[in-house]
Amino acid sequence: MDSIIGKSVPRIDGPIKATGQAKYTVDIRLPNMLCAKILRSPIPHARIMHIDTSRASRISGVKAIITGRDTWDVRHGFVETPRYPADQYVLANDRVRYIGEEVAAVAAVDEDTAIEALDQIEVVYEELPAVFDPLEAMKPDAPEIHPVQISDLSESYKNIGGKCENSFGDLNSAFDHAHLIRKDRFEAQLRTHCYLEPQATVAQYDSNGTLHVWTSSMGVFRKRMHLSRALGMPASRVHVHKSWVGGAFGGKIDLFSHEFCTSLLSIKTGRPVKFVAEREEIFSCFRHGQPMIIDLETAVDGQGLLLGQKVRCYNNCGAYRGSGAVLIFLCWGFVVLPYRVPALDYIGYSIYTNNPVRAPQRGHGAPQIRFAIESQLDMIAEELGIDPIEIRLKNARRKGEMLPNGDPIRNAGLVECIEEAAKRTDFLKKYWENTTQQKESNYIKSGIGIGVSSYFTGTLIYPNNSAAIVKFNDDGSVHLLTGALDIGQGAETILSQIVAQELGLKMEDIHVIAGDTETTPVDIGSWISGLTLITGNAVKKAAEEARRLLFLSASRELDVDPTDLELQDRRIFVKETGKSIHFARAIARHIKENGGDPIIGHGYFRGLKNAATGPSLKNAKGAWSDSYAFDAQVAEVEVNTKTGKIRVTRALTSHDCGFPINPLLVEGQIDGQVSMAAGQAIGEEVLMKNGITLNPSFLNYKIPIATEMVENDYIDIITEKYERERHFITKEVGEGYVSGILAAISNAVANATGVRAKKLPIKLNPIYYEEKREEKK
Amino acid sequence: MEGVKITLKVNDEEHQVIVDERSTLLEVLRDKLLLSGAKEACGTGECGACTVLVDNKAVLSCLTLAIEAEGKSITTIEGLARNGNLTKLQQAFIDKGAIQCGFCSPGMILSATALLLETPFPNRIEIQKALEGNLCRCTGYNKIVEAIESARDKQNG
Repeated sequence: MDSIIGKSVPRIDGPIKATGQAKYTVDIRLPNMLCAKILRSPIPHARIMHIDTSRASRISGVKAIITGRDTWDVRHGFVETPRYPADQYVLANDRVRYIGEEVAAVAAVDEDTAIEALDQIEVVYEELPAVFDPLEAMKPDAPEIHPVQISDLSESYKNIGGKCENSFGDLNSAFDHAHLIRKDRFEAQLRTHCYLEPQATVAQYDSNGTLHVWTSSMGVFRKRMHLSRALGMPASRVHVHKSWVGGAFGGKIDLFSHEFCTSLLSIKTGRPVKFVAEREEIFSCFRHGQPMIIDLETAVDGQGLLLGQKVRCYNNCGAYRGSGAVLIFLCWGFVVLPYRVPALDYIGYSIYTNNPVRAPQRGHGAPQIRFAIESQLDMIAEELGIDPIEIRLKNARRKGEMLPNGDPIRNAGLVECIEEAAKRTDFLKKYWENTTQQKESNYIKSGIGIGVSSYFTGTLIYPNNSAAIVKFNDDGSVHLLTGALDIGQGAETILSQIVAQELGLKMEDIHVIAGDTETTPVDIGSWISGLTLITGNAVKKAAEEARRLLFLSASRELDVDPTDLELQDRRIFVKETGKSIHFARAIARHIKENGGDPIIGHGYFRGLKNAATGPSLKNAKGAWSDSYAFDAQVAEVEVNTKTGKIRVTRALTSHDCGFPINPLLVEGQIDGQVSMAAGQAIGEEVLMKNGITLNPSFLNYKIPIATEMVENDYIDIITEKYERERHFITKEVGEGYVSGILAAISNAVANATGVRAKKLPIKLNPIYYEEKREEKK
Repeated sequence: MEGVKITLKVNDEEHQVIVDERSTLLEVLRDKLLLSGAKEACGTGECGACTVLVDNKAVLSCLTLAIEAEGKSITTIEGLARNGNLTKLQQAFIDKGAIQCGFCSPGMILSATALLLETPFPNRIEIQKALEGNLCRCTGYNKIVEAIESARDKQNG
């Protein structure tokens, strides 16, 4: 049988996207629809003394206005646990904590009227002292943004929104016996997703009491959970529909105020309501990634073997907890994943400040941590006189090892990744040549650098599981029902490939119904790096069940044992004789002999099967993930030392992503991550002063453009197989490959110039560079 | 409503529409003619998602007033395929993996269409230059450039 798994088939949503037919949330248009706008706080920290909406509500065309009074104490959070209860209001109650916080929402007949109404809402604020820097905000005398709720916090810090602490091994002994100890502070900037489709929501509350929602998101079931909780409605009455999603990168997973407000405005008016965020609003008020300060102390022996690390992470999580408490757990993970660290003392703090709330962004902590560790590792190697490849190979995790939390590394191609990456790029030759030319007088310098990373593949956070349904039509074609939401990564395509493989069908035989909370089963979502593994295996089981029933009927029709059968092109063959029948005949027989059952396969899958819950955010204990992807990435750069301009010329990603179901889509994921990392390494930064965003546009927040394209090369170290009758293991590919290359770019700049960046984005000051060069002579 | 009555020729069809003088071509295409292929991702001419062809030149429809487009031939993404047959460029975008989330794709495909009409044999640098005004966050541009090169070779081959 021809295999369709592992093939670069074109994505199935290609034609509708290439012709403009694909409907995104911004394209949803319903009759009689109102326009929603949101009034936001202009002050970073204030008490709301009074809100008067009477003038605004008298404007002709204004249909409803809601404020915190309508939603008093309705709270939500990225995590909602006893340790970390929901701390964010859907609309500010009596206090605002950042510029951009939602204070009121309006529904009006058109945009102009809605904007006019916002202007007419009177809000009286009493300004409170604000704090923006995380280290300042921790101090006992800092303004209090939220009371510290962590009962076991031993330090007298203020504004701690989250703390994760984990240690193992004998750190004192590691540092006592070290040949070399390095202590460095690294800082990663505030960067943002820049999804092209703006945040948008359409809500329609119908007369039967069902709320219909279309929203640009990363998973419909998570949105439904949040919305039904916040609105106090049964999940069965909140119907989140599929719309195509114009990019997310982590920035569309949480519940957003506009989603709640649009829904409530529709409930209040009985009319459809649409909200679309302005780009400036997204840059200024919506959630970005998480800026972080990392203090990293590392002890090594004379050969560069890691003996122990002490790590402190200070995450500036903004005015509400957002995903900050999760991030500081993940940062622990990204410290311990790729290399063996025998002793560790880790504490991560997530600190409230009067800045906008923060979300996951592609990599969720890994880019920051890997930048720090990979940079310092190169510094250590240089001090010890060994090369960047050797020090990495020495410490790289291998198959069969165990993580500190007990998760087994079943398979790891990291050593091969590093070796192949070095070989393919002629790394060491270039590295030493570049080192030599640092001292020469030419002002265009070349650099090469390597970075290593690893990423988890799904974990337990709602929705923890996926289910799927495969139903046969009379003619043998198939409908796949999956809750998966294709946000551009190609979910629908790879799930179709799995069904095609299991049922011997062609891609065009399969029609996917996806991402709809009313018609499709629950799905983990496109946000926790587990969709291909969790949903993929659910779909595989559903298809296997359908195949089992099909074979049962066919075996009677053909008078053979089901194990003697195989499938191709909607026909069932007897392996030995080649005798065959069409699917339609087996399906008809199944219907006849089984009381009308038309063959519907049902499958489901959950990661970490023996674990009741996911890992502890408090102490990083407990199972985290089923499998881990590894990568080694090499960047080559060109630096103009007169202007400080850095150009990333080439990148190589050598990766172990398990079994690649569609290599073309894997490459596409890598291309996007390399580009995003290049932007973050050398230019991207949301600039803020006193809570105000200074560069809220694509002109001033510069993401890479086509002329800055990085030439990419890929090496796939395949460590897993796709097999019949057992679940397949694949590893994540959608966000782990930002980190290694980000670190590699920084290392390459250091290789080119001899100047080490400890802050992102890398800024080369030509004058400083000249001074350094003189010193080296 | 006050407004100006204009005739717009879009995808070879003439439409009479009453528009506000301040309306952009993008607003009229999306809200009046219900052609939602052109996207608004910034509204300030920085991202290229709203690109359409006006007399075969790539134009940012969010910065073009609808009344300026009267008497000109406008092509949107909906007007490229003929009788359901995609252009070689559209097909190349699909085959080469140049589409991910797809939000930039209409603008990207139209910018590339304009390039190939004007410069039938663009080299890689010319292709990248022509796409400078079209942002894509998903693909890193690699597969987009490959798709345009492949369409160039096919149309000229």
